[in-house]
Amino acid sequence: MSNLLSVEGLSLKDLSTGNEVLKDISFNLREKEILGVVGESGSGKTLLSQAIVNWLPENLEISSGQINFLGKKMSAMSENELEKDIRGKEIAYIGPNAINSLDPTYSVGIQLLEKAISIDNGNTTKEVLKQKVISLLDDVLIPSPEKRFYEYPSQYSGGMMQRAMIVDALLSSPKLLVADNITMPLDVTVAAQIIKLMRVLRDKFNTTVIFSSSSLPVVREIADNLIIIKSGSIEEQNSTSEITSNPKSDHTKELIDKTPKIWSEDITFQKIDTKPIISIKNFSKSYKVRDKNKFNSFYEVKAVRDFSIDVYEGENLGIIGESGCGKSTLSRLISLLEKSDTGTITFNGEDLSDLNKEKIKNFRQSLQLILQDPYNSLPSRQTIGRIISEGLLIHSQFNKSEIKEKVLSTMREVGINQDEYNKLLVGKSGSFRQRVSIARALILEPKVIILDETLSSLDQNEQEMLLSLFRQIQAKRNLTYIFISHDLAMVRKSCNRIAVMYMGRTVELAENKILFNKCGHPYTRTLLCTIPTLDKNPYDKKLYLMDGEPPDPTEIGRGCSFNSRCPNPTKECKEGSVEMGLIEVESGHWVDKCCVNCN
Amino acid sequence: MKLEDSSLSKKIFYDSWQNNFFKFSVIFFLFICLFAFIYPEISAIKAEKMNIKSKFLPPIFFEGFSWTHILGTDQLGRDMLMRCLVGLRFSLIIGFASVFIMLLFGCLVGIISGFKSSWVDVIIMRITDAQLSIPMVILAISILGVSRPNLASIILVLALSGWPLYARVSRSMALIERDKEYVRGARILGANDFRIIFFLVIPIILPPIAFVSVLDIARMMIFEAILGFLGLGVQPPTPTFGNIIADARKYLINAWWIATMPGIFLVITLVTLNFIGSTLEKSKNKIFGEGI
Amino acid sequence: MHLAGQFVRRILQGVVVVLITTFLIFSILRIVPGDPVRLIVGGMAPDNLVEEIAQKMGLRDPIPVQFGRYLSQVVQGDLGNSYQRPKNGMMGQGGDFNANMDVEMAEVSDLILERLPYTLQLAGLALLISLIISFPLGISAGLKPKGFMSKIAFFISSIFVSIPNFWLGIVLALFITIKLGLLPSIGYQNFAYTILPAIVLAVETCPFIIRTISVSFAEISQEYFIKSGKVRGLTRNGVIYRHTLRNASIPLLNLLGIQLSTLLGGVIVVEYIFDYPGLGQLTIYAVLQRDFPLIQGIAMVTSALYVGLNIAVDLITYSIDPRLES
Repeated sequence: MSNLLSVEGLSLKDLSTGNEVLKDISFNLREKEILGVVGESGSGKTLLSQAIVNWLPENLEISSGQINFLGKKMSAMSENELEKDIRGKEIAYIGPNAINSLDPTYSVGIQLLEKAISIDNGNTTKEVLKQKVISLLDDVLIPSPEKRFYEYPSQYSGGMMQRAMIVDALLSSPKLLVADNITMPLDVTVAAQIIKLMRVLRDKFNTTVIFSSSSLPVVREIADNLIIIKSGSIEEQNSTSEITSNPKSDHTKELIDKTPKIWSEDITFQKIDTKPIISIKNFSKSYKVRDKNKFNSFYEVKAVRDFSIDVYEGENLGIIGESGCGKSTLSRLISLLEKSDTGTITFNGEDLSDLNKEKIKNFRQSLQLILQDPYNSLPSRQTIGRIISEGLLIHSQFNKSEIKEKVLSTMREVGINQDEYNKLLVGKSGSFRQRVSIARALILEPKVIILDETLSSLDQNEQEMLLSLFRQIQAKRNLTYIFISHDLAMVRKSCNRIAVMYMGRTVELAENKILFNKCGHPYTRTLLCTIPTLDKNPYDKKLYLMDGEPPDPTEIGRGCSFNSRCPNPTKECKEGSVEMGLIEVESGHWVDKCCVNCN
Repeated sequence: MKLEDSSLSKKIFYDSWQNNFFKFSVIFFLFICLFAFIYPEISAIKAEKMNIKSKFLPPIFFEGFSWTHILGTDQLGRDMLMRCLVGLRFSLIIGFASVFIMLLFGCLVGIISGFKSSWVDVIIMRITDAQLSIPMVILAISILGVSRPNLASIILVLALSGWPLYARVSRSMALIERDKEYVRGARILGANDFRIIFFLVIPIILPPIAFVSVLDIARMMIFEAILGFLGLGVQPPTPTFGNIIADARKYLINAWWIATMPGIFLVITLVTLNFIGSTLEKSKNKIFGEGI
Repeated sequence: MHLAGQFVRRILQGVVVVLITTFLIFSILRIVPGDPVRLIVGGMAPDNLVEEIAQKMGLRDPIPVQFGRYLSQVVQGDLGNSYQRPKNGMMGQGGDFNANMDVEMAEVSDLILERLPYTLQLAGLALLISLIISFPLGISAGLKPKGFMSKIAFFISSIFVSIPNFWLGIVLALFITIKLGLLPSIGYQNFAYTILPAIVLAVETCPFIIRTISVSFAEISQEYFIKSGKVRGLTRNGVIYRHTLRNASIPLLNLLGIQLSTLLGGVIVVEYIFDYPGLGQLTIYAVLQRDFPLIQGIAMVTSALYVGLNIAVDLITYSIDPRLES
């Protein structure tokens, strides 16, 4: 079998800096093969993908080597030829930025049709092409494709847009499909569905695929062969099974080491034997969104529904959920940035639900929140010293030099050098900024710190370092942490108790070990089966991966909101007449009443 | 110059300074200002000095010119160059002052309005709408057309005509900032709205708008000239571009330079000013586009 | 369905704006010193006569009362009668201090309707000229921000925006009418009289249009969905016409809405210089003569025009991009 694509000694140069961003890349690709390209961000995998589809930015140029497609040299092809035959036709590209890939002012279907017409050269009628688009939308499992055809990109979720872009790529029945980091912005369950979809489509359409990603476990699912890239050069290339069982290069070994170990390692946590420091009962919060179809009416979005939890002093509680589950609203409610519609919250025995201004001001010293985005959550025009001292300037009576003392000592504690005091944040890394955020929170000497996706934008190394910093501080100051995240791997390492949220409610609450090994709720099982890891996963994807996405938050009816995706819904579940609420299945392990019994 | 630690404003200026035309324009503009404010004081020729014997002298190189009066003289023998320079003084003062006021007032109102977003915001927005629908000229004529306009009232009327735009622009910026993470971060620490607006939001919104306001200075200088032309500016015998040109209409056929010279003066100054403003705006877009 | 709802809401808001504007002008006229009655009867008239006439005209009542009276008239379609312009077309004399109460004064609505077509013609021609100049410059500057056309567009913009309109009018009149005799300047006898004023207006508006188009084209061209058109297999021209142009038209339309009042201001000055018999010239004389009903009528009409134009712009931009809402 001849090679579909053959890359020989490809090197790419950045004309503005003079650096070589890709060095001597060589590999061959056979028909119907799936090649995985694994590399961290900045390693060059995107540039390689873009070079293959001939879509490089102006400042990059091929300095040596060549790309051969179907035996023809790509550099020998004229721009005209590339435009007519290659781009979007024989070779198709899907990127990580699906949400922004289509014009927001036209509907999705019309734009897919536009591409279909554009590549067709007038042979087929519009009606026939439209049907082709709709049938492809169906193939990628977009529900009600005839209706969705006319909807706009802003009405599609991230996962659905990615599927739409897959349709876009498949319209030309391409010989080669380059999927560049397409699962990065997606939730784990959605990403797992997309991977499953790609396999199915490869078989159905006979396409060859190059699949790049920064996550080895993800690529392993789908690729026959792997290329490991670091700093623009190939570290290792071999079949997937060879590489994962017998890695040869140090980098690959390091990469494998860094993938989260969920079930192969066990972490023991200290037994928590204290009383609750925060007690939340029956929180719920709804938002009114204007109904665009009627004149003056609104519909309700129930972001948080009947949420109750006790947070024990000194523990690390994890609250886990995917996008749209309500965890960001929850963090705003707990930190009293917004008032919940119902329910109470008690802190150290004091009832805070009446939001008395004095009480809240004091509360702000005891509970702090560290946010996710290190670039936007800190004031950009203030010096580091000023940023950290903000809390004391608001609350305390200390004078200037006393404040400076405290700031410097807190900086020491979080590992920031003293001479950063007068500098600005310009040019500092994400993890440095997070340290500044932590210092800013710590200076008020809080008792509880909520970490709202704080580590999500950092890479593995940085996460590790900050987690150990958290442990240090916790030991010294006897802090309680609440981790709000979507990252199960991180939560596995750090939290002793974990609550799983879905559509605004808790569906399961258990200790770390129990949750990961003996979970009781079908949603938890789905989450666990999709964690990207090289360990043997006790939860088989084939059994537990659900289709579909969380329902529209405006259409939450009565009863269990999970019934649309549940593998085993009973009659009561479907009718919505099932009883909800957590029950304790064993000591410290709570599961949603309705789902406990259907297994 | 170490850019790392510089504040954004310095960055924007430094970036513009790389452009040679910009360097030239800034220096030229400063020169013009100095020329306008100092030269008439030290020169032997005075702007008000009438000399009927030297009336209607054309500018240099035209038939009948005189070296003492490089740009010619007007119908009363007054030196055109001096009159233009004095007129320029007023244009500059009025231009800068009015923009300064409208910038501060407009942004203050706009930011508070956008940030608080209550019924106060709605009312202020309707007022700006209402004011935007009235051409400045009408507003000016209505207010100034009644008594002798003085420097202060002219500046105020111009500021009045311009503040709604600043209020609107700063308001939409404030709406965006309001939802940003650092505001949330500040609230968590316990900061109240006043603190957030004055210490965090205003320092972010004001500088970029201030840079673009340079373009408005030119615009206001033109408006001042229009007002002067309509007789609503600083009154004669004090020369301003507007009233010089208005007077000169009568003599257009025979002494075309009386009407044309002030215009050329103004155009040159404004082109320089506009170039400075546009370059700053481009730099601002570039720096902001790259993020902080 | 929801478009209708939007429409109704906008109209209601628009009416509020027109009312506020009219009230502002109404009050400013009556608060700022300068008695219209004095201008009607003349500087020599005794004070008590002035007072008497003012009372009869209702000008001494409290402002809200006057405004209420005015509104009730307007609602019935009556914009009032001019203080200064009689129906037979001759201007009031001013020295004759009892005659004017008997002469029948022109109706404001008539005066406005008479002049409106001239102004519309002027504005239309000016807009046409500026679009012809600005579009090509703006688009090529936007598509190639570092190119030659971009520099040209920048220079033309900078120069045009620095030229005072009245001065340009005078210079054009000097060269084209007096020295070259190509086009007429003063007054109106046929369409040719519209050309020079339109050119002056066009020069005034070009810079803003050029700038908006080039900036929005440049920005839109950086959007991911525009850039990815190439890799998806769409032709470059296809992307520009179907996507870049469409998205870039939104800021342009918004600009038109806001720029209307600046355009009107320019119209006033230009009509004054060229003695062009349009609404602008009427406005200046009305204000200088403190002709309250006429000023109020014009203010109301222009305000309604501004509001109406902005509503139209909002509806059009909404139909282009459904994400945009109030």
